[in-house]
Formats: sequence, structure tokens, C-alpha cells
Amino acid sequence: MGKKILVVEDDKFLRELISRKLSGEGFEVSEAIDGEEGIKKIKEEKPDLVLLDLILPGIDGFEVLSKIKEDPNTAKIPVIILSNLGQREEVERGIKLGAVDYLIKAHFTPGEIVEKIKNALK
Amino acid sequence: MNQNQNKSNILGGPEIITERDIRLAILNILEDSEEEKRIAENERDKTKAIINNLADGLIIINGENRIFLINPQAEKLLRVRQEEIGGEVLSDLIKFSSLEKLAGLLVSKKELFREELILKEPKELILEVTTTTLPRREEKIVILRDVSREKLIDRMKTEFVSFAAHQLRAPLAAIKWAIKMFLEGDLGKVTKEQRGFLEKTYQTNEKLILLVNDLLNVTRMEEGRYLYKPILADIVKITQSVIDSYKEGIQKKKVKFELKKPKEKLPEVLVDLEKIKLVIDNLLSNAIKYTPSDGKVTITIARAKKEIEFSIKDTGIGIPKDQKEKVFSKFFRGTNALKTGAEGTGLGLFITKNIVEAHEGKIWFESEEGKGTTFFFTLPIPSNLTTRK
Repeated sequence: MGKKILVVEDDKFLRELISRKLSGEGFEVSEAIDGEEGIKKIKEEKPDLVLLDLILPGIDGFEVLSKIKEDPNTAKIPVIILSNLGQREEVERGIKLGAVDYLIKAHFTPGEIVEKIKNALK
Repeated sequence: MNQNQNKSNILGGPEIITERDIRLAILNILEDSEEEKRIAENERDKTKAIINNLADGLIIINGENRIFLINPQAEKLLRVRQEEIGGEVLSDLIKFSSLEKLAGLLVSKKELFREELILKEPKELILEVTTTTLPRREEKIVILRDVSREKLIDRMKTEFVSFAAHQLRAPLAAIKWAIKMFLEGDLGKVTKEQRGFLEKTYQTNEKLILLVNDLLNVTRMEEGRYLYKPILADIVKITQSVIDSYKEGIQKKKVKFELKKPKEKLPEVLVDLEKIKLVIDNLLSNAIKYTPSDGKVTITIARAKKEIEFSIKDTGIGIPKDQKEKVFSKFFRGTNALKTGAEGTGLGLFITKNIVEAHEGKIWFESEEGKGTTFFFTLPIPSNLTTRK
């Protein structure tokens, strides 16, 4: 069975597109539409990797990330940030909090995102 | 005039001067000076009326730094009264926070031109301060213009553009992903014709993404939170990395390219890495874009005293003479550039200039239409490094 990726993304269409791409590449995909659901699914499902948006209703991506890293049960799960924000401050904050990569949505194609995921899972 | 005539009458007139003649002459003189006085008073009243009714605040400070005059508008802006401060030395008036700030600004430079002064209490006020020194009398005229409203509108505009650009990014990303998935066959087979259209749609969307990025860069600049943690870096290395990303473009377009750098290692400069890359990227992409095939692009990096000078010369279409002044302004595109059909947002050089100036560098260019253009910019070498080689 393929590795399990959790997509935390509030935009329905973006979620649909990236999930489709990932399943097409042989990954098992799980989805969360906000930070709260994201944290819950990470704890319950222990995915192999989390694709995390930053601007989310309620608990934002940065908070989700710090929660994952605080919990020893989930701290080792690699997180790739996939965001609209591209300011250096935000990128640095994400990396500091423990994200393995920081991708700006409009600058990466789904194919390139899959490559990044594969690299992070190696 | 009259006076002179009278005098000559007295001195060079008839030999016998009667008492009556003298009296008459004196009366004449008195009358003239009365007239002069009236004119002077008139002038003074006029000047006073102008000063008092100016929309701008005006303060006159004499050579000893004492406040000689303050008009009602300046009283209002600084929340002081002539009676309280007239004749006082400006720097002694520290109990008025507005004057303290103004005094600080006034000593910082000899002449001020539209220098910003922000007063916080009781409500925020942004003033532009301009000074002129009267040459003979050592008097300084200080003009205060209230630009709070302009600044507010400007800020709202910047925030709006920033908001709009951010909001555009998400749907643009969705379009990009969807089209790319069609093109990569993730959503089933596409015909050759469909592929052609999808590719063009993809390219159009990419242009839109670039435009939104440029707009965001501009608004960040206007919000004044643009430069990020400058670090010491080697300009040749930075340039090389930008050039590497253009290798394909250069080969495709068949332009010759050359990088001239000094043999010895150049001192490092203090830069925001991403932003300086953007500067070189903008200049290089322009040079390639506006240079026809078989043309040549040359980048030269050299040391000039206390700065590094970067220049990029092309043999491209050049900039029309009558448009040279506008080159660095927002949304400028040369008429000849538009005719070539080359894409561009008109924001690149505006952004470039702002970045260079934020690094305390200078940027300028030389160009001849039809022959080519050379852009130059400088970056200061940090002073503790200038002695080292």
C-alpha cells in the first residue's frame, strides 16, 4: 500500500486537485478542511507526511505545526507547508517550527509538489 | 527721484537760497518719506495677510534660533501659541513635544525638503517640513504641510492592492494546478489541439501570477517593510546564480553573453539576498527580452572606490529619448518595447530602483534607441571593509 498523505487545505478545489494528483501517483490520501480537523487526523491516523496550508479557519497552519512538533507521538511526521504566503518572515517561521519544506502554491505545479513529497519521504 | 531733484535744486540752484526754499525742500523730503512709510506699511500688511492665511504652517526662526514668527496654521498644527513661544529659543521648548520633535529635525540637516515629521499626540499627524534660509539675514523659514490625509489615502490604496493581490493568488494557483494536471495527463488524454490551447492558457495564467507577485512587491515597498535582514554576500556569486537560471533563455534567443569580473576577489556587500537577486534578474531579463537574436549582453562587475559597480549592456532596441525620464516610474513600458510584443508588467524597473536605493545604492542608465542600453547600479562597500582588500 502507498504511503499516507494528509492534506490540510481549506479551499475545496485545491484540495480536490492535489488529492487527485496524489492518488494518481499511488499515495493514500486523507483530507482535513481546517486546523482542528488536521490535528485530530494527524493524531488518529499518523500519516506518513502532512501537506499543510497556513491560512486556515480557526487554528492556523503555524499553530497546527507547533502542535504536531510538541507531541512526541507525531513530532517525527514530516510536514511540508503549502501556502499562498511567500514572505521571508513566514518561510523562516515555518522552517523554524520544523517544516521540512516550504512551497508557495502559485509557484509549484502538482507534479513538482509530488517530487518534493517523494524527496521528503526518502 | 523727487528727493534727488530737490537736492540738486538746493546745491546747484540759484545762488541765493531763501529760507522759504529750504522749508519747501524739507517739506518735500518729509512728504516723500511719508509716502515710503505708507508703501512699506502696505507691503507689511500684505505679507502679514498672506502669512496668516496660508494653508501651510509657517515659522520664521532668526539667526539665534529664536522663534520670530509663527502663523495661525502652524500654531494649530503644533498646538502652541505665538504668545507662549514667540522669541524663545526653539531647542529650549522641550515641554511642547511637537516643537521638540521639530527642533530635532531642524538640526539634523541644514536644509529640509519635504521631510516627514510624525506627531502622535493627541491624534496622529503627518507633516512635511521644508526649510529655506534667507541668505543675508540668517533667518530660516520653516514650512509645515499637513499630509495626513494624503498619507491615509495612500496607505488605504496600498492595503487594498495588497489584499486584492493576496486574494488573487489562491484562485490563480488553482487554475495553474488544474491546467497542469490536464497537460500532464492526470485527468485523461487530451488531443493535440486541446493541448495547444491548454498550454497557452497555462502561459497566460503564469503571466498573471507574475503580475500579482510584482504588485505584492510594490505594495510591500510602499508599506516600507521591504528589506529583510541584510547579510554580507559576494555580488559575483549572486550574479552567477541568476545567470545560471537564464542559460536556457539566452541559448534559445541566440544572444551572446559575457560576464566580466575583476581578477581579485571583491569585498562583500551588505544585501537582502532575495531582493538583490530580483534586481539582477529584472535587469538581465529585460536585456535578453529587448535584444534581438545575434545581439550581445554584457555584465560587468567592478570595484569603484567605496562601492561595487554593476553594469549590464545590451545591443537591444534601446529607450526612446522622449521617454527616458519615465523609465523608472510605475507601469512604464517603452512604446518601442510594446511594439515588439514583449510581455512585461511595467513594474520591474520601478521595483529594481526601489531595491537599489533601499540598499543606499544608485541606479541609472545610458541608452540610444536602436543601438542598445546600459543599466548601472552601485552598492556601497561597508566602511569597515573598505580598508581590507
